[in-house]
Order: sequence, then structure tokens, then C-alpha cells
Amino acid sequence: MDAIQDYLLGLADDELILGHRDSEWCGRAPILEEDIAFANIALDEIGHADLWYGLLAELSGEDPDTYPDRLVYFREPMDYHNIQMVELPIGDWAFTILRQYLFDACEQVRLEALAHSQYTPLANIASKIVKEEFYHYRHTSVWVQRLGLGSSESHLRMQNALDDIWPYTAQMTQPMAGEDSLVQAGIVPDSSQLQSIWQAKVIPFLQECSLALPDLPGMALQREEHTPYLRVLIEEMQSVARSEANAVW
Amino acid sequence: MIDTQWPRFQVFVQEKPGAPHQDVGSVHAPDAEIALLNARDVFARRPECVSMWVVQADAIYSKTVEELQNRPTPKSDQLPVIRQTYYVAYKIKPAGTQTLVGSLEADSPAQAMEMAIEKYSGKVSPLVWWVFPAGLVIKSEPTEIDSLYAPAKDKTFRVSTDFHTFTAMRKLKDKS
Repeated sequence: MDAIQDYLLGLADDELILGHRDSEWCGRAPILEEDIAFANIALDEIGHADLWYGLLAELSGEDPDTYPDRLVYFREPMDYHNIQMVELPIGDWAFTILRQYLFDACEQVRLEALAHSQYTPLANIASKIVKEEFYHYRHTSVWVQRLGLGSSESHLRMQNALDDIWPYTAQMTQPMAGEDSLVQAGIVPDSSQLQSIWQAKVIPFLQECSLALPDLPGMALQREEHTPYLRVLIEEMQSVARSEANAVW
Repeated sequence: MIDTQWPRFQVFVQEKPGAPHQDVGSVHAPDAEIALLNARDVFARRPECVSMWVVQADAIYSKTVEELQNRPTPKSDQLPVIRQTYYVAYKIKPAGTQTLVGSLEADSPAQAMEMAIEKYSGKVSPLVWWVFPAGLVIKSEPTEIDSLYAPAKDKTFRVSTDFHTFTAMRKLKDKS
């Protein structure tokens, strides 16, 4: 697989798995309004995944109408290239919101760079979805702020969430396989640059929200490595499609 | 008893530039900023929207035409005088919603309503009047249209029958 295809698969799988996790809140979010908002965010993320899978299909000479479904519903968990942070269970609301915030901040930074990609189809998709990411970022950052600065319980839950998730965040900006050639060609941004922009964005904000950065090193993880949680998620996500493989939906 | 319910905010949507802001319903939120974000998700996902306003529902001074008929002379002199701008909205059809019609300066909500009735009941006979302080209204910014409201326009909306679920289920049933 070419470097660009690998990169797109990573982007798409991150969005899909996070979108699926987010969808698990549907009907269970803290209040009705947030339930609707968060289900919208879940749908947006899955929609973004669909756009990346579609581009991947074109590059691979596959049918953009059917290839995304094949990748999503008929691939083995070990072939997923998402980062571990997005496959972790939803935890409590604090964990969910904080994960979404940290991911949205990174995605926004990445998409702003990808919008200037030398590869036009990629730049076009990035410019389109970055608009929605502004809204996601705004939505999750107001929640982080209110929970971080809220009651002692909400603050404690947020701090626990940050302690749990922080080591996983390093993988968001870990260079993807074969990225160097893409960076040199101006197709994708340099991951170390993304990391510093992302950190400059989230670290001061977390501190403003009275959350202490854990003194924990980031984990060096490969996109082929997964937690046992992914298998359970994939089995559930694929169960209906696999029960009747040739059904027309 | 402590009320643990978040306050309710009334939501107004403008569907296109130049159109009046229309009351679309309400959302609960801990504060106005979240109210505006919640309102976006509840009310602006499908229909078009170019501007959204929220105002805490208990800031709205509301009178039906029946209430106004039996009204005593407003004792506005007993209230502290705070001269400020009020927005005026009214509803004409029983099944309709409040339409924002303008704004005026007044010393109290009651006075604002008196003036509104004077100023805006021309050819129409509103059934319910609302006035609320302009200073309490939180509005979306024109620069936010792109990220908050525009993406919804491109979303395909599939009605449930599009999914052919019944056909698929029938086939499954026939096979078993």
C-alpha cells in the first residue's frame, strides 16, 4: 500500500472508530439537548470517515460506493489502522468529552494544514470538514471548561480522565508509516509540527480549566497494535452487516 | 427545594438574510453560550439557518390578548426605571410561533409592551405579545455561519424507507 493510502486509512479509521464510540451515547447522554448534539458529532465523524474512505477507494481503483462498506464491515480488527485512543471504551461523560476535545483539537490542526495540501482532492475534503471541526472543537471545549471548573466531583472526574488518556494522546501526532515522502512532496504536514501546534493549543487551555498535566510519558504505539476493546467494538459494529452479507441497505 | 433543572432558553432562527427571526422552541442549558450551541443542534440541523438568537425564557414578558383585555393600568412607576432596548415579537395565528418584529426603548417590560402594541398593531391583530431586553439576547456571529449552520445544508437526509429494511427482513424471513 502506498504511503498516501496508508495515511488516508489512518485518518478514516480514527474518525470511524471515534464516531462509533460517540454513537454509544445515543439515548444516554446527560441531557436531551446534549444527546442530540453528541449524536450529531458522532454522525459527523462517521461522515468524515466516509469521505476519506471514498478518496482511498479512488486511489485504489475501487468503487467509492461499495469500498467503504467493505472496509468497515468486512475487515478484521487487526487490519484497522486507528490509534488506540479512539478505541478505548466511552468511560464516564468526563472521559468522553475530554477524549473528543483532545482529538478535535488535533484534527482541527491537521485539517487546517491538509487544506493546503499539494494533492488537491485531499485539500478539498480537508477544507470541507475543517468547518465542522471548528464547531466540534467549540462544543467540546465549553464542556471541558465547565466540567474542569465546575463542582469538585466534575473536576475530579476530568482530572482522572486526563490522567488516563494523556499517555495515549502521543499517538495522534506520531508519524504515520512512510510519511516522510508525503511531507517532502507537500501532501501532508510534518507530524512533529502538528504536535507542537496541538500542544500549544490544548496545554494552556487545560491549565485554564484547572486541570493538571500528568507527568506521564506518551506511549509509542503502532497503528497495527490494538487494545482488546477494539475487537469487541468491531464485532458489534459488523454483526448486522455480516449476518446478511449481500443485503441491500 | 433546590431547582436542579437548567434554565430554559427560547430560540429564534433566521432562515435567510432579511427574513425575521422566528421563535422555533426552547432548549435547556447551564448558560447562554451552551444554549446557543444546543440550539444549533436541536433546531438548525435540517432547515436553513443564517442567524440564531437565544434568550433566557424567564426574561420574556409575555401577554396574551385576553390577559391584555383585563389588564389593570400598569404601575410602572413602582418599578425601578431602567431605560433599555426591548425586542418585540408577536404571534398572529393560533398554531404559529412568535415572529420578531422590531425593537424599542422603554423604562420597563410593561411599558415596552404598551408601546409595542401601539407601534406594531397596524393591520394585524396579534394573539400573544412578547417583549424582552435586547441586552439579554445572545446571538450567533455572521462569521459562525460557515461552521455552525452551513454544513447541515449538504447533509443527505434519508427517510427510513430509503433503507429497504422491510424488503431485507422479508427476504430473510422467506429464507428461514
